[in-house]
Amino acid sequence: MRKILIVAQTEFVTLIRSKAFIAGVLLLPVMMGLSLVLTRATKKVADNKDRTFAVVDYSGVVGEPLVAVARMFDPGSLLAAERPGGPAASRFTPVLIDVTARKPDELRIELSDRVRAGELFAFVEFPAEVLDPGGQSRIRYYSNHPSYSTLPAWLQVTANGVIISERFRRASIDRALVARLSKQAQVENLELFERDASGRITPAKTVSTARAVGVPLAVLFLMFITIMSSGPALLNSVIEEKMSRISEVLMGSLTPFQLMVGKLLGSVSVSILLSTIYVIGGLVAAQYWGGYASAVTVALLAWFLMYLVMSILMFGAVFLAVGAACSDLKDSQGMMTPVMMLLMIPMFLWYPVLRAPDGTMATLLSLVPTAAPFLMMLRISLAPGPPLWQIALSAVLMAATTMATVWAAAKIFRTGLLMQGKTASPGEMMRWVRAG
Amino acid sequence: MTDAIVLRGVTKRFNEVAAVSDLCLSVPTGSIYGFIGPNGSGKTTTLRMIMRILLPDDGTIEVLGSHGSGAARDQVSYLPEERGLYKKMTIRRLLRYYGRLKGRALPEIDAAIAEWMARMELRGLEDRHIETLSKGMSQKVQFMAAVVSTPSLLILDEPFSGLDPVNAQVLKDAVLEMRRRGTTVVFSTHDMSTAERMCDRIFMIFGGRKVLDGSLQSIQDEYGADTVRLRTAGGAAMLAGMPEVEAVNDFGQLQEVRVAGDPQRFLSRLAARTPVYHFEVTRPSLQDIFVRIALPVDQPCEKS
Repeated sequence: MRKILIVAQTEFVTLIRSKAFIAGVLLLPVMMGLSLVLTRATKKVADNKDRTFAVVDYSGVVGEPLVAVARMFDPGSLLAAERPGGPAASRFTPVLIDVTARKPDELRIELSDRVRAGELFAFVEFPAEVLDPGGQSRIRYYSNHPSYSTLPAWLQVTANGVIISERFRRASIDRALVARLSKQAQVENLELFERDASGRITPAKTVSTARAVGVPLAVLFLMFITIMSSGPALLNSVIEEKMSRISEVLMGSLTPFQLMVGKLLGSVSVSILLSTIYVIGGLVAAQYWGGYASAVTVALLAWFLMYLVMSILMFGAVFLAVGAACSDLKDSQGMMTPVMMLLMIPMFLWYPVLRAPDGTMATLLSLVPTAAPFLMMLRISLAPGPPLWQIALSAVLMAATTMATVWAAAKIFRTGLLMQGKTASPGEMMRWVRAG
Repeated sequence: MTDAIVLRGVTKRFNEVAAVSDLCLSVPTGSIYGFIGPNGSGKTTTLRMIMRILLPDDGTIEVLGSHGSGAARDQVSYLPEERGLYKKMTIRRLLRYYGRLKGRALPEIDAAIAEWMARMELRGLEDRHIETLSKGMSQKVQFMAAVVSTPSLLILDEPFSGLDPVNAQVLKDAVLEMRRRGTTVVFSTHDMSTAERMCDRIFMIFGGRKVLDGSLQSIQDEYGADTVRLRTAGGAAMLAGMPEVEAVNDFGQLQEVRVAGDPQRFLSRLAARTPVYHFEVTRPSLQDIFVRIALPVDQPCEKS
C-alpha cells in the first residue's frame, strides 16, 4: 500500500507540473473568455450587406405593399431602429418584376441567371391564389445561398403580414380589433411554493433557463473535460515508461498491480483537484452573474465526486492497458480511438436526455456504466432528478464494471508492460486476460 | 557463507520455446558474479526471473533467503540493459522516487544521493532536469538510481556496454565499492576481459543451459593448459597443415593456438619450419573458452 501511495504521489506531482495540466486548468476560462470576446466582436462586424431580390407577384396585391414595407426600414426612416437584427443589420430591397406577357418558366430562368450573375441575391414568387385562405399555395423563394435563412425568414413574416392584412380588408374586418381580442395570456414557468424556517410560505421563483439547464450542462461538460484530460495522460505516462524501459526498473521494485493502482490514484487525485478548481471557479462565476450558486447542492457534488472517481478508475484502467499493450505512441493513437468513441457517444446524447430526463430512453442510457457518469449525472442535476433507486442501480452497475475493468486491465498491463517491439492485437489482449 | 541467490531446476518457456532450461546456480553473498553468454542465450531472462519480473515455469528461485516477492525485493536493485529515465524529472526527484520505492526513508536517501553525486562528480547538479544531461551523465544517474537504496543485492544487465572508457572505469570502481560495502553484485557482460578482471565467479549460459560455472581459476583449470601464444617469422601461414594445431586465433603479429598433445613436441616441429621468437604455454582466456563453447559447430572437439 505504501508503494502505491509513493507512485500516486509522484504521478500527482508530475501531472500537476505538466504543461497539459496547466493548459487544462486554463483551457475552459480562456475558451469562455474568447467566445465572449468573439460574440461581441461579431456583433460589431455583423452581416450588414444590402440584398436586392426580385419579386414576381402573380396575385397583383402583395408586391407593392411589400416594397413599401421594406422601404419603411430604410436608414433614416422611422422604423430603421426596429429593423430585424438591429439598425446595423442588412437591408432587403425588393424589386418588382413586371409579369405581363411573360411565360413563367422563361422569367424564372432569366431571374435565375441574374442571381447567378450576382445582380440579384434571390427571387421570390407569389402565386395568384396566395390570398385564398383555404388554398395550399406557397411563397417560393429561389436563391443560390441555401444556408442563408435571414431573408426567407424576413419574407415569411413580412409577406404574411401583407397577405393577412389584405385578407382582413377584403372581409371588411378591423385587423387591429382582431389583434386586440385575440391577444394571448402568457404561461409563466415557476418553481414550487416552499415554507421557510419561520413557517411562512415563500413566493415561488420564476424558473430561469440558465439555472435549470445551464448548471446541468456545466456539470456534464466538467465531467467530460476532466476525464478527457486524465485518460490520455495516463496512456502517455505508461508509454514513456515502457519505451524507455523504466517500467522494467519499476517492476524490480513493485508489482505491476501496485504500479497500475498507484497511477490510477494519482490520476484520480489530479482529476479531483482539477474539478475542484473548476467547481469553485464556476460557483463564483454563477453567483456573480446570476446568483445560481444555490443550484449546486452538496448532494450534487457528492454524486459528481462518486461518478468522477469511478469513471477515472474505469476509463483510466483502459487507457493504462492500451498504453501497456502498445509499443509506440503511433500505435496507441489507433488503439485509443475506440475508447475515445466510448467516451464521446454519451456526449452526443445529452440533448434528448435533457428534453425528457425521465423518459425510457434517458433512463436506460443513463444506466449503461460507460454513459452513467455523463447521462445519469445530467439527470441528477436536472430537477427533480431521477428516483434514488435508479442512481443506486447505476452506481452498483458502474462499480461492478469498474472492478471488472481494473481486473482485466491489470492482466493486460502486467503482460504488456514487458513486451517490447510489437503492439498487441485485441485478440492477444483478450488471451492475456483469460490466461490469468 | 550463505548464498544470496539460489536457483534450482529453473525453466522458463516463451511460446513453448525454452529460453532457460533446468538451470541451477548459487551466488555466494558478497561476491561479484559475472553472467556471460552470447546474445539470446537466456542471460536477461535469468536476471529478470531473479528480479521476479518474470516467474519461472518450473523450479524455485531463492533471493536473499526469500521465496516470496515481498521484503527481499526492497533489498535488490536492478539496472536493465536498455535503460531510460523520466526526462522531465530532476535528478534529485528521480533518485528519491527510486529510493522510496525500495522502502527507504527520505533522510537516508538524501545522504546516499549526496554521497553518490560526489563520487560520480555530479555534485551541484541535483536539481538539473534529466533531459538536459549529457549521455555520460545520464549513464551515471542510471547507475545511481540502482544503488541509491543501498541494496544488498545489485543486478546489472550489461552495465558497461555503450560507455566511454572514462565512464566505464567510474562505474567499475562504483561496482567494486558496492562489493566492499558487502553488496552482492551480479552482472551480465559481453566483455570477457571485464569479466576476467572483476568477477569472483563466472557463469556462462548458452542456449538456455548452464555451460560454465565457477571461479576463473577453476574454469581455466578445467579447460587445461593447452593454449600456446607464439610469434614466428612466418606468421599464421606456417601453422597450416600441422596435426597438433586444433584452432588458431590470429592477431596478426601474434597467434593463439590450441594445441593437441605435447606443446614441447609442437615447438620443436614448429621451430623446424620457421624461426620462433616467442612461445608461451598459457591458460585459455575466457574469450577463448567463450568462443569454443559458443561456436561448437566450428570446433567440433568441444565438450560442453
